Parts: sequence; structure tokens; C-alpha cells
Amino acid sequence: MTDHAASLRQRLRFIRDRLATALISACGIGVIGAVLAIGVFLAVEVAPLFVAPEVREQSTDGAPLPALASLPTDSLSAAGEQQQWQADGRELVVFQRTSSGLELAGRVEAVPPSRRITALAALQGGRALLIGDDGGGVQRWVTLADQDLPVPAGHYQALGSAPIRQLIALPDRQALALNEANQLGLYQAISGLRWQGQAPSGEALGWDDQGDLWWGTAEAASRLEIDAEHAEVSWRSVWLPQHYEGHAAPQQRWQTSVSDSRDEPRYGLAPLAWGTLKAAAYALLVAIPLALGAAVHTACFMSAGLRTRIKPTLELMEALPGVVLGFIAGLVLAPWVERHLPGVLALLLVLPLGMLSGGALWACCSARWRQRLPLSWAGLWLMPWLALLAALALWLSPSLERWWFDGDMRSWLALQLGLDYASRNAMIVGLAMGLAVMPTIYALAEDALSGVPKSLAEGAAAMGATRWQALWKVVLPAASPGIFAALMIGAGRAVGETMIVLMATGNTAVMTASPFDGLRSLSANIAIELPEAALGGTHYRLLFLSALLLFVFTFCVNTLAEVVRGRLRRRYQRLGGPT
Amino acid sequence: MRRVRGEGPWAWLAAGSVALSLLLLVALLALLAGRGLAHFWPGELVQIELDDGSRFAARPGREERSAEGVERLYHTGNREWLGTPWRWVEVARIVEQRRPAELVIVERRRWGDFIGRVAGLEEDGVALDIDDEAARWTALDERLGRLARLREARDALRQQEVMPRVRALAAEQDVASRARLEDELAAANAEVLALQARMARDRVVLESVEGERLALPLEEVLALQRPNAMSLPAKLGAWGERAWRFLSEGPRAANTAGGVWPAIFGTVLLVLLMSLLVAPFGVLAAIYLNEIAHQGRLTRLVRISVRNLAGVPSIVYGVFGLGVFVYGIGGSLDEWFFSEQLPSPTFGTGGLLWASLTLALLTLPVVIVATEEGLARIPDHQREGALALGATRLETLRRVVVPMALPAMLTGMILAVARAAGEVAPLMLVGVAKLAPQVPVDGEFPFLHLERKFMHLGYHIFDVGFHSGDVEAALPLVYATALLLVMVILVLNLTAIFLRHHLKARHGALPR
Repeated sequence: MTDHAASLRQRLRFIRDRLATALISACGIGVIGAVLAIGVFLAVEVAPLFVAPEVREQSTDGAPLPALASLPTDSLSAAGEQQQWQADGRELVVFQRTSSGLELAGRVEAVPPSRRITALAALQGGRALLIGDDGGGVQRWVTLADQDLPVPAGHYQALGSAPIRQLIALPDRQALALNEANQLGLYQAISGLRWQGQAPSGEALGWDDQGDLWWGTAEAASRLEIDAEHAEVSWRSVWLPQHYEGHAAPQQRWQTSVSDSRDEPRYGLAPLAWGTLKAAAYALLVAIPLALGAAVHTACFMSAGLRTRIKPTLELMEALPGVVLGFIAGLVLAPWVERHLPGVLALLLVLPLGMLSGGALWACCSARWRQRLPLSWAGLWLMPWLALLAALALWLSPSLERWWFDGDMRSWLALQLGLDYASRNAMIVGLAMGLAVMPTIYALAEDALSGVPKSLAEGAAAMGATRWQALWKVVLPAASPGIFAALMIGAGRAVGETMIVLMATGNTAVMTASPFDGLRSLSANIAIELPEAALGGTHYRLLFLSALLLFVFTFCVNTLAEVVRGRLRRRYQRLGGPT
Repeated sequence: MRRVRGEGPWAWLAAGSVALSLLLLVALLALLAGRGLAHFWPGELVQIELDDGSRFAARPGREERSAEGVERLYHTGNREWLGTPWRWVEVARIVEQRRPAELVIVERRRWGDFIGRVAGLEEDGVALDIDDEAARWTALDERLGRLARLREARDALRQQEVMPRVRALAAEQDVASRARLEDELAAANAEVLALQARMARDRVVLESVEGERLALPLEEVLALQRPNAMSLPAKLGAWGERAWRFLSEGPRAANTAGGVWPAIFGTVLLVLLMSLLVAPFGVLAAIYLNEIAHQGRLTRLVRISVRNLAGVPSIVYGVFGLGVFVYGIGGSLDEWFFSEQLPSPTFGTGGLLWASLTLALLTLPVVIVATEEGLARIPDHQREGALALGATRLETLRRVVVPMALPAMLTGMILAVARAAGEVAPLMLVGVAKLAPQVPVDGEFPFLHLERKFMHLGYHIFDVGFHSGDVEAALPLVYATALLLVMVILVLNLTAIFLRHHLKARHGALPR
């Protein structure tokens, strides 16, 4: 009896164990799956951007033809916002619309000598027109604000070799081109020819009240389904300079906050990617020397007692929220640096010199002082010395400005070097984000350096090397993969940081390398624009694409770092280190 | 003297970078602490006469040095006459500077601060005849005390008499009881109005240094101080009071004045919800990964991936949260359960629930990694011993493994909370609000309103600092808020460091 109860209890225990194991497994797999799904989800959201557009004939099963708004009948003229265009052989005749009527603005040869214009169409917004010729060529011309005549903005891939018969402007700056061989092509102003195929029999009839185009004859008509929601974006158009309306030459622009649909949205990710990399580069420029110097000193020179205090303190900096650093950088540091520019730039020289002079003075001191202020405590006792020098440099800042920069350094920069000074600029971001990234690099690099087996450095010291020589020739090479991993992870953090860049730059999407110019990064751009982007639109998906880029970049960089670190750990174990 | 063999210049540069980093950290914290705490200090007021004979009273602020000379910023208040409460004055133009004890600074419900003198008191529009300065102050204090008592009585009345009846009325169907309730409500409202009328009795007559007069209903006064006449303890008291009001009140004047209570509440609630979500799932995932899953190549790959997700930018999680939680799940929830309110979204817009879920996802890798580290540190023979004694896997986990890994889990949670508290970028996409005076917890069913938008300390810093009209007025507030946020996060991190240290010490003693 008791045996039976015991075995029952035993079985119950095992069932419970199985159940719990299954539960934990399910939870674990679910959670990990959910976390890993982030990348997949982003890719799914981005994918429609790169689906090839398509034009399909949709049969209507003999339904009666609805009332249609007719298409323009004259394919050799087109009306834009300010101008009217007329084709005349090779030439485009341009009329300017004025208060008193049309006024001839000029004529311009638009197609090569052997050809003539066979079709014109004004694109949505009326600031660009498509020109089709008798060789199948299609090109776009754009109007400029300050010129009478439009300028060419690029030849598209030709639609066969037959003459273009008709160009039909569609919404979203798209147009259908039909040639004499009855081929149909879908063009988009920026990305060019996106689809081509055989046209249905008959001809374009007109628009119904849904905005759909009907095609065929009066007896047998069908609706054309134009599936080209994101046609203005292609992988190339996003990264290469594009000829936008209102510009005389191709530009790399990100400008989506267009107030009305007459303005062409500019979806160039290159300025944002540039801004991201520039901000990260300036941040690393600040962070790497500081972090590696600090790591080397903490790992190899600092006294053990001090090290247990300093290392957590520096690592604690990592916890400073980005929004606080961004606020300090944007509202306090930026205006302050603007006023004390010469002093701040002088600091770049004064601080390293101060460290070196500190060392030189120390070497001249008597042995008692050297004992009292040893190198192993230099991290602390150099602080007041550096603070004193920094204060001195800043105090001299107005005088420096008077002596060397004619009283105003910013106008001096503009005159002598042609550099504009934006108040919130890459230098400010570099300083603030450098401070944010530095603890990450420091912590990892310090771990790598202090993980190098002591026997190596001791061996070098036994051979008569100074500590620095041992470090440079022995410890550093051994730890170099770890330091590389630290830099990678630091770079990943710098690339993804949002609030600091958002607050400490003017968020202007310009592509310059100057430290005194603003920038706009991918991450800040997402934070600014995504709440207002229409769900599922091109803009929305492009922002998802930037998120995906950030995700892929940081994920790859971190994986690389992780793999390198794993190798390093095994190497240390082989060398017989402590871990 | 024998020259010591130095380490060369590079060693000093390395030492200098430690010093520089520490210096930057100290400067940053000192700046935040100094400016943040100084905001509440009742600074002295000065009366200034310029070389053109004009006079004004103000609280001096920072100075700026330029080629033309030194300029000083004065907070003059009195916005209704001067247009702006700030004034830059060239120091060289100042002829005379005095600190009269009778200068007052009045914090008002509207129009910002007033700086000037108390010229008299009015009761029901009749001026009181008090000539003596001290007597006038006692009278004023008395009246302020009376007002505070009346206000308290009114608020209590509203809370206890009016609001329950309004709610009951909304739910009640029966005509007779509705009529009764309406009568009671009218009576309670009349009582409130009577109290309010009594509160409007007193007015204080203020006179600015320029000679403008203003009869201000005492009810409009939020605080009234004579900083020049205050002793140090009194100043300290006033400092404490203002600091407390900053912590306990809601924002006023387009977030440029008042306190941050809703933001504190929102931050804490958000982090609390996030912890509730992340703790069980993070720990379970770590246990699965370390104790149950087959330790093969795939598991190693998953482990590396999870580790890497901690380095993925937070904004990416925000984008994910917006796409999946807000538009995906939230949109579907709206269609299924809240279709009568469409097109105005209930869950299909950013809110507390989605924000905490997003943060939970963001901090999941932190918790998993920390817990896993704790689990991996437990020697295998502990598990083997338990299994050898006949324990099942569940029993081994519950009795041996989890208790030993508890501090590691706690460390992970604290680190997660610290990271979540400082994260702002994803919140901007999934539901933080510029101003949400209604906190997401109240007396109305279901008490916790997960769909509501909320305020957040970090976002408050961003918003007040960058989107408010009067940056000079907002800046001290931003400093104080930033100090608060940094303090919270530092305390959390220090706790985690302490725990981890404790943990290492404990497990270091275990034989391997």
C-alpha cells in the first residue's frame, strides 16, 4: 500500500519535472525567438520598398464603363505650374505663365540632332516634365526657380526603339509611356524605368472617380492596376546623388517634411549615413585616446588599491543617461564653447602638454616628492594640475582671440578657412558622445589588458624592460584582439546613440567633414520623423530601413567583437592566465 | 642625485587620461548638482540704479564676458509690464546697487514671478490701514495661513462630497435617486462656491520698483518670499520647501515652472511594469539557455546573438515596438474590442503598456546575460550532488541552482532598471507625452490605465530644454530634473555593483 503511494508520488514528481522543463523550454525559446525576431520583423517591413513595380490589366467582366475624366488629347504640349511647354521638332518651346497670359520664355533643343520630340507630359507638381522622342528615349527636365528655361535632369533607360506615342502622368511623379510598338513602360521621376511590358489592346481612355486608369476600347475596357507604391525608391536612388526638382545638378538630400504634394520628397539616405558615421568618428576620436590611455594606466601602472576604486567609478559613467549628456552638450556646452572657442581649441594642445609637463616636473622633483606622488597615483594627483592648466587656457581665451584671430575667431574661421561655425556641431557631439562611449571601451580594454597573464610582463621586466616597454612590446600585442573588440563595441554604441546626437547637433542633413558643421544621424532622424510618418508609406518604410541598417551594423560589429573576445579568452587560458 | 629611469612620455599621457576622465566626470556631476540644487535657493534680490537714472529690482544671474565688457543677466519678473522676465545689463552702467530687506518675490499662478514691494493689503476691496512693516507681514502671513486652510477644506470637499456624487450620477438610472443625488450635488457645489468666495476675500497690493501697482488676489499667490530679510535657517527651510514642491507638484506654465511629480510617477510606474514583465521571462530564458538546452553549436550561436542584442541601439527597439506593439497588436486590439471609439485609437497609439513592453524587450538581454553569468558560476558538482541524491531537475533548480543564482538575477534586474530609467529614444516612439497631468493610476476602474500616455523624467528634460519658449526659465528646471534622474540611476547602479561584489566574494569562497 505504502509502496504504491510512494511510486505514485514518484511518478507525480517526474511528471511535474517534465512539465516544468517543458514550460521553461517553451518560455525560453519563445523569449529568445521574440528577441531575435526584431531583425526579421524590420526586414519584413522594409521588403515592400524593393518589390518591383508592376502594371496589370484587371478584367472587369463586362461591367459597364464608368464615367471617365478624359486624358489630355494633345501629346505635344504640357502645362506645368508656372510654365507651358510645346514640342516643335527637336526643340522645346517654353512659355512663362504671367498675370497677363502666356509669354514666350525661349526655345531649347531637347533631343539629339537626328530625333524629334513625340510626346510631353508634366509630372505631378508641375515642376518637371517628361520628354519622349521618336527613338524611344524618355528624359526628364526640371524647372529652376531663377531661370526661364528648364534644364535636363537625366535620360532614362529607353522604352524599346519605337517612337514614344504618349506619356500619361500618374500620381507620385510617375508616368506611363506608350510607344508605337505598343509597349508600355512605367517611369518614375527619380528611379527611372521601373516596369515595361506589352500594352493591352486599345488605348488609354481616362480616369474613373477612384483615380484608376482605364484602357481599351469603348466596347471592351479594363482597369489598369498600377502597383507601384514605393516606385520612387530603389537601392540606387537611395544612395546615389539624384537630380531633384529645383536643382541644377544632382544632389544628395534627405528632405521629407514637404508641406504639400507639389514639393518632391527627397529620399537620399547618404547624408544621414554620413552624419551617423561622422558623429561616431568624432566621438571615437575623443573616446579612443582617453579610454585606451586610461585602460593602460589602470591595468599596468595604477596601484591595486586605487584600481578597485577608480575602475568602477569610470565604468559608472556608462550609466549616465544619454538625455542628460545631450542636454549638457546642447544647452550648456554648445553656447559655452561658442563663446570660448579659442580657449577650447587651446585645451586640445594644453592638456596633453600638461600631462607631459607633469611627468617632466615629476622627474625633476626630489626623491621624497616622487615617493609622495608616485606614478601609480598619478591618475589622482594630475587632476588639480590639469584643472589649473585648463582654467588658465580658458582665462586666456579672450586674449588669444584678440591676438591671433582679430577678436572674433568665428569670423576668422569663415574668412581664412571658409568654415562656417554652427553652434551645435560635430565637435560638440564628439565631446559628449565621446564621454558616453569612453566607459564602454575603457571597461573592455581594461579587462583585456589586465587579463594578460602576469608572467609575460614579469618576464619582460626581468629582462630589464621598463613597465612601458613591457606593456608596448609584450602586453599590448597579447591583448590587441581584446582592444580591437573594445573599439568595435564602442563604435557600435556610437553609431546607435540617439539622444545625444539629437540634442547636440542642429539635425541638419549636410554632408561635410568639418567639425564645426551640424549633422543629422540615422537614429536621430528616426526619433524625429517616425512618429509623424504615415503607416506603411514610403517614408515610414525608409525609416524602418534606417533602423534595419543600424541593427545589422551593430549586430555584425558586436558579433565580430564577441568572436574575437572568445578567441582571446581561450588564448589566455592556453598561456596559463588567471582566468 | 641619481636620475631615476622614467617610463617615458606615453606613461604620463596614459596617467593624464585617467585624470582627465575623472575630471570630466567630476565637473559634470558638480555642474548638475550645483545648478540643480541652486534652483531652489532663495537668492538675494537687488535694487539697481543705472546711469540713465532708471531703476529696477531683480535677482542677478550669470555673467558673460565679451569684447565690450561684462554683461549680467537679471531675472526681473513682472512680465506683464516688461514683456520679458529677463534683462541683460552691462555691469559698467550700474550706478548703485542696494539690497532692501523689504523686496519680495511672489510666485504667481499666472504671469510668472513678481519682484517688488508689498504696499498694502485689501479685504473685500477695502484697504487695511497697517503702516508698520512688521505688522503688515504678520497680517499677510495670517491671511496666507487662512487661505491654505480654506483651500484644504475646499479640496477635501471636492474629493469627498462632489466627485463621488458625480460618479454615482453618471451610473445611476433610477429617477428618484437621481433627483436626490442632483440635489445633494447642488448643495455640495454651493458649499464649494461659498468657500471659494471666502478665499477671494483678500488681496495683496504689490508695487514694483518702477512704480507700477497691482492688486493681486491672495489666491493667485503660490509662494511669497522676502529673501533679503531671511536668516540662513529660514533660507534653508525655504529651499527644502521649494525642493519638496518640485518633487510633489505638476508642471505649470507650459512645463517651464512647477514640479515634475507626474514625470517621476510615470518613470517609476513604467520601470515597475517593465520589471514585472522582464524578470520572469528573462530568468526563464536564461535558465533554459544554461540548464536545459543542449550545449551545442546552436546554443552558443543563440548566446552570442542574445549578448549582441544588448548592443543594438535602443531606437531600433523603439521602431520595433511602434511597428509590432502599437500598430500591429494595438491596432488589432482596437478593431476587436474598442471599435466603437475608432477612428480615435485606444491601444493603437503609444501608451504605458507598449512602452513598458518595449523597454522589457530592450532590457531582456541584460537580464539574460547577468543571470546566465550567475548560473555559469555555480560549480557543476552542486548540481551533480543534488541529482545524485535523487532530486529531479526541477527540484535541483528550485532548491540548489536558483537560490545560488539569486543575487546574480537581482544584479541583472537592477542593471536593467537602471538602463530602462535612462532610456528616452524608444519612448519617443511608443507613448511618452509632453504633458500628461492625469497620472495613469487613479480611482476609476480599472485603476491602472495601461493605454494612457505618460510623462517621463528623461523626456521631460528633452522637451523642456529644447521645446519650451523661455529657455532661461526652463534651464534651472532641466538641471534639477537631470540631477534627479542621474541620482536615481547612480543609486541603482551602485546597488548593482555592491551586489555583484558581494556575490563574487561569496562564490569566490566556494571550492571549484
